[in-house]
Amino acid sequence: MKKIYGVLLLTCFCRLAYAQLPDVGGHLSGSFESYTQFYQPDKKINAVLPQDRVGSNNYLKLDYNIGAFSAGLQYEAYLPSIAGYPYDIKKSKLINRYFKYAPKNFSIQVGDFYDQFGSGLIFRAYENRQIGINNAVEGVHIAVKPFPFLNLKALYGNQRKVFERANSIVRGIDGEIDFSKIGSFLNGSTRLSGGFSFVSRNQEYTGPDPEINATVNAISGRLGISGSTASLDVEYVQKGSDPSVSNNNDKTTGKALLINGTYAKSNFGANLTLRSIENLDFRGERGETGTSVPVNFIPALTRQHDYLTTNIYVYAAQAFAETGGQLDFFFTIKGDEGKPSRIAINVAHYRGLNDNDDLFSPGKQTYYNDANIDWRKTWSKTFSTNLSYYNIFYNKSVVEGGLHDNVKANIVVLSALYKYAKRKSIRYEIQNLFTKQDDGNWFASVLELGFAPKYSVYLSDLYNYGVTKIHYPNLGGSYTNGGSRFSLSYGRQRAGLFCVGGICRYVPAATGITATLTTTFSK
Amino acid sequence: MYKILTFLTLCFNLPCMAQSELPAVKIKELSGKEVAFNTLLANGDTATVISFWATWCLPCITELETINDDLPGLKKATPFKILAISVDDARTTPKVRSFAAGKGWDFDFYTDANGDLKRALNINDIPYVMIIKKGIIVYQHTGYVPGNEEELYDKLKSL
Repeated sequence: MKKIYGVLLLTCFCRLAYAQLPDVGGHLSGSFESYTQFYQPDKKINAVLPQDRVGSNNYLKLDYNIGAFSAGLQYEAYLPSIAGYPYDIKKSKLINRYFKYAPKNFSIQVGDFYDQFGSGLIFRAYENRQIGINNAVEGVHIAVKPFPFLNLKALYGNQRKVFERANSIVRGIDGEIDFSKIGSFLNGSTRLSGGFSFVSRNQEYTGPDPEINATVNAISGRLGISGSTASLDVEYVQKGSDPSVSNNNDKTTGKALLINGTYAKSNFGANLTLRSIENLDFRGERGETGTSVPVNFIPALTRQHDYLTTNIYVYAAQAFAETGGQLDFFFTIKGDEGKPSRIAINVAHYRGLNDNDDLFSPGKQTYYNDANIDWRKTWSKTFSTNLSYYNIFYNKSVVEGGLHDNVKANIVVLSALYKYAKRKSIRYEIQNLFTKQDDGNWFASVLELGFAPKYSVYLSDLYNYGVTKIHYPNLGGSYTNGGSRFSLSYGRQRAGLFCVGGICRYVPAATGITATLTTTFSK
Repeated sequence: MYKILTFLTLCFNLPCMAQSELPAVKIKELSGKEVAFNTLLANGDTATVISFWATWCLPCITELETINDDLPGLKKATPFKILAISVDDARTTPKVRSFAAGKGWDFDFYTDANGDLKRALNINDIPYVMIIKKGIIVYQHTGYVPGNEEELYDKLKSL
């Protein structure tokens, strides 16, 4: 508890210190994020009760830039980490720091850096605090633009592994050419670009297997054309043999193909994504799995759901073998003045591969289907509704492991928002998930009162009336002032997959108080 | 608990400081072309409203829909420019263009797929709205509660 006070004190000190700084130019900014849970016993949901009965993840980040120079650092404190965080740690450390010099058309960064090549299928270094991923690379990153049509990047370093470093080296180069800047063969609004990446990971291998190499190389190529109403992007990745724990020591090579087509004009948009993957899990260390030291990024390419019941059966991409895609339509029916209807339709389908060496060989087993429609209607300046329907097929055995029945579920969500004064609102949401499998039916409702711009309170309940008859109630509120927000809630947390941005981790059942504080400060 | 409350009061009551130089971090136009953030800001007396959002963020969508529907009257009263910067990652970045077109929104759209600008400006959560005028952040707000837009409009009118 004392440490939590300490971290809060440090943050306030930083804010106060900022206020006292003389104006020497440049841009100084920082942020603090704290997520703290106090746990209590709850036998009904088999809640985990950590030894300390408290979990607290804290992040303090500072950045300064003046002209072409910038520098920054990040301090993290887990006092200890919250229940369900992928790493059970009780430690604080100044872990990320960087120095960057970026005059026009050139940049060099030493220290920790993030980056992404193409869509990230070959390389992505990023941070996702909720999921517990920070694979920042510590080393050198150089970007140069020798001609207006050419961008080149090169990087070399060690990936971050919680508070340590992966025992491997990651190297990469990426080039992107904007063909439309080379000649005038395209009309003004059309952009044609192509890219190439090479990524290599070297981890010493001292075992007996001669077929396991220390170095694993991956290459990718991409092409994109974008016009005034449509665009098409294609990316292909090929990876060398990389036997590891995550692919059950499979010695074959890996590959993936990603195609995306978009059509967009006034009040109408459509998007089609197709992706096939084979053995493409790529990590800094052979022995790691889950959220630990990923080199690339393979999200589930499905609609990202927002509601309590739609987050029960969530798909996670199967990097070993998967093929499928999704189709989206978005359109607005203007209707009477000030009363538009906005519709979103999404259909996604994923299945295994028949021949793991052939990206175009759909297998017999379906992994996931999702067909959903969303109708947002503004009835007046003060009243609007949102009605959604989802039809889901979830192969629980494939997504979560083990042997389970496949789940077929239908979900209906109705949400209504009424602004009874200029800055006061009430929102009510009811949801029902219908299924004959797994835990059967679920019901949820949320009541939220908003007092803009500073306060909001909510009361929610997720109830399984199919099998377990367990309620997951939550009561919470938040206070916001400018770039700072404090929220407090009390209730039950359901065990299951917790997914953000298509990457998931398992969270255990827990009951207790959750306090979060986020603040952004700058001078 | 008392100590925590004291700290929080201190933290929240500090004014947001002015920024004298905004980072030249690269973000992308919907065509994929890179552009430096600080070159997109309006010059002179015109304010720039920046909204960080994502296609999967319901409060962001509610906020942008509300602002979009109020735009015609609003722009008559005060000229300003709006940049809607999506922080969708590679999972949903390809949808941003069709999503925005389908909504019929009248903003300038950009993507920050690996969060470079979000990180440089130290933004934790979305939605996050700021107003920048003459290179200075004159207003910022995290989260969205229906009615927040009124504060934003009042601020724009007072500039």
